[in-house]
Amino acid sequence: MKKWLIGLLFMLFAMVTVACSSDDADANEDGNNNEEETDSTSDEANTNDEAASDEKQVVTFWHAMGGALEEALEEIVDNFNHSQDEIQVNAEYQGTYDEALTKFHTIAGTDEAPTMIQVFEIGTMSMVNSGQIEPIQNYVDNDGYNMSDLEENIINYYKIDDQFYSMPFNSSTPVMYYNKDAFEAAGLDPENPPATYEEVEAASKQIKENNPDMNGFALQAYGWLFEQLLANQGALLMNNDNGRSDTPTEIGFSDEQGKSIFQWVENMINDDTFANYGTNGDDMVAGFLAEDVAMFLQSSASARGVVDQADFEVGVAFLPHPENVEREGVVIGGASLWMVDDNDQAEKDAAWEFMKYLQTPEIQAEWHVGTGYFAINPDAYDEPIVQETYEDLPQFKVTVDQLQSTESSYATQGAIMDMIPEGRRIMETALETVYNGGNVDDAYQTAVEQFNQAIENANTARGE
Amino acid sequence: MTIPTHQKVIFYLLLIVSAFVIFAPALIAFSMSFMLGQDVMSGKILPPSFTLDNYVTVFERVPLLRFLLNSFIISIVIMIGQLVLSSLAAYAFVFLKFKGRDVLFFIFIATMMVPFEASIIPNFQTIRDLGWINSYIGLTLPFFALAFGTFLLRQAFKQIPKELKEASEVAGMGDFKFFLTVVLPMARTSLVTLGVYGFLTSWNMYLWPLLATTTETTRTVQIGLRQLQTQEQLNEWGVIMAGAIIVVLPTLILLFLGQKKLQKGLAEGALK
Repeated sequence: MKKWLIGLLFMLFAMVTVACSSDDADANEDGNNNEEETDSTSDEANTNDEAASDEKQVVTFWHAMGGALEEALEEIVDNFNHSQDEIQVNAEYQGTYDEALTKFHTIAGTDEAPTMIQVFEIGTMSMVNSGQIEPIQNYVDNDGYNMSDLEENIINYYKIDDQFYSMPFNSSTPVMYYNKDAFEAAGLDPENPPATYEEVEAASKQIKENNPDMNGFALQAYGWLFEQLLANQGALLMNNDNGRSDTPTEIGFSDEQGKSIFQWVENMINDDTFANYGTNGDDMVAGFLAEDVAMFLQSSASARGVVDQADFEVGVAFLPHPENVEREGVVIGGASLWMVDDNDQAEKDAAWEFMKYLQTPEIQAEWHVGTGYFAINPDAYDEPIVQETYEDLPQFKVTVDQLQSTESSYATQGAIMDMIPEGRRIMETALETVYNGGNVDDAYQTAVEQFNQAIENANTARGE
Repeated sequence: MTIPTHQKVIFYLLLIVSAFVIFAPALIAFSMSFMLGQDVMSGKILPPSFTLDNYVTVFERVPLLRFLLNSFIISIVIMIGQLVLSSLAAYAFVFLKFKGRDVLFFIFIATMMVPFEASIIPNFQTIRDLGWINSYIGLTLPFFALAFGTFLLRQAFKQIPKELKEASEVAGMGDFKFFLTVVLPMARTSLVTLGVYGFLTSWNMYLWPLLATTTETTRTVQIGLRQLQTQEQLNEWGVIMAGAIIVVLPTLILLFLGQKKLQKGLAEGALK
């Protein structure tokens, strides 16, 4: 008994020590068995500081593309690595956009920091202010790269004070998805979807009359959609030209513009045609696919998934706008690629090569077709694989048309400010209040006050 | 005293129903893992057609085996570390007499009030400055000291009669020998409980492994699960559920094996 126990305890101790001391050895061994991944770890450790000239230049690329998107991205990265033998790009998933950004802020300046990182569009100002990045404008200038070859409505967003801080990458805009079969059953023209708030309301009523089990319209309580609906009316989210000419000091939309969205929702709630899925986008899509709701707004990047998974004909339409204003267009959403400053010049140059590679028409065509994100380089739309896809999936083309027919203005350029994530939460709360039967005027007023307060707090925090 | 049969039947019926309700999410996940994306999205509960594609996709999409191995290594190391440190600390708090022992113990216990999330940033900075990011040591070491474990084992050790200690002293037995040959065997149930508890909590950790790793070599399964989900696009729930089922299996097995001891041990800690 005694011996047995001493032996056991000894083993425990031994295991702890072994486990701790052999970490590094472990990691390397495992790596070798595991082909690609191992390469990345061992290389990274060695080459980050002293890049031997005969070795491949390693570029560490942090991204937030999970699931099927990661597969598509990995494929592009692999192709790049095989297309030449000077640069090795290691794409590493770092959690959601939020998590990746937080992680970057804590790790920036250490050896573990990446060469380039993908950051969502509303993290733009926070990256600019972080002091950890090098504007890609430097590379554009040195290399004579022509940014104007890229999609105008996309680069407009990322152009700040006539400078490019980051390279646009995955971009999407919201569109309206609708159930063509349900439209037909209700006696609506499936090829002529509603374009205005009023038409959406009328169509919803007709659908509900025809089929009491199906609601007309769903709007996810999502701040991004609220911003898009504002922009589509030509309204600014924040003053000072959406923060493009100076730091914003308050909201930029009028009561009429802001309230129109809340009012629209309330009308449909009163008609009993509105489906409330709260803040959950997955639930909303599930509701649409289960034919509980006939129309909803969602990112164009979902187009392929929605069309593929529906038992019925799915239509894609432009974002609706109030009848009394002209359609202005949409703001780009998604993410861009940032160059991290604190790295060797050779490493950054290699990352720049990769960024340029990503923007070539062939790669953008592959990316567009594979994921549903836009092609940053409009030449990609002429590529055969894109044309073929449009024949099978005409819905894809609508998303591109909506982007390309967008009027270029401060409203559709989109707001830049570091407190936008907070602003979105405020709008989401307000929308949910209305969904749950709250008073529109009260909810709107509270949201505006909180939004202005958030802008003020952000400015104070920066000492402005 | 025995329970009459009809009462027993009612009890068991109720138990079966509540067990089913509690287990429902896991059952639905299990059934979803065999469904096509289309069927999942249209809200079906039982698979209309059976497919194993999701399981294949999971293994293609993320290096799940590697993540599983990492999770095992990390959970086992943390478990052992916690057992060793907690039992030694608990021994000191029960059998060694020194000034301020009780005060020290209460300060020790008070650290249970500080959630890990609150100390995550300082911990992270320490690990980062030591260069332990992406290493097993950085993933495990911060979890070795566990106030709860010390507390649990102290309660267990207290049930060991003081006379045994005195007798062993008379017999000329040192503290360490007494600890190994008398205390540990007597507290076996609590040790197993703590071990299972430590293993499960480490297995389910998300935030720390996410922060402390930047590459796939040392990542755990929980991050792998997250990696299966997308933003801005439709999620393939079938694939995600297949991943979740694979990840849950080891914990379930462990739970079935250690269930009796776990219950007994946890109740022991609660009584005194």
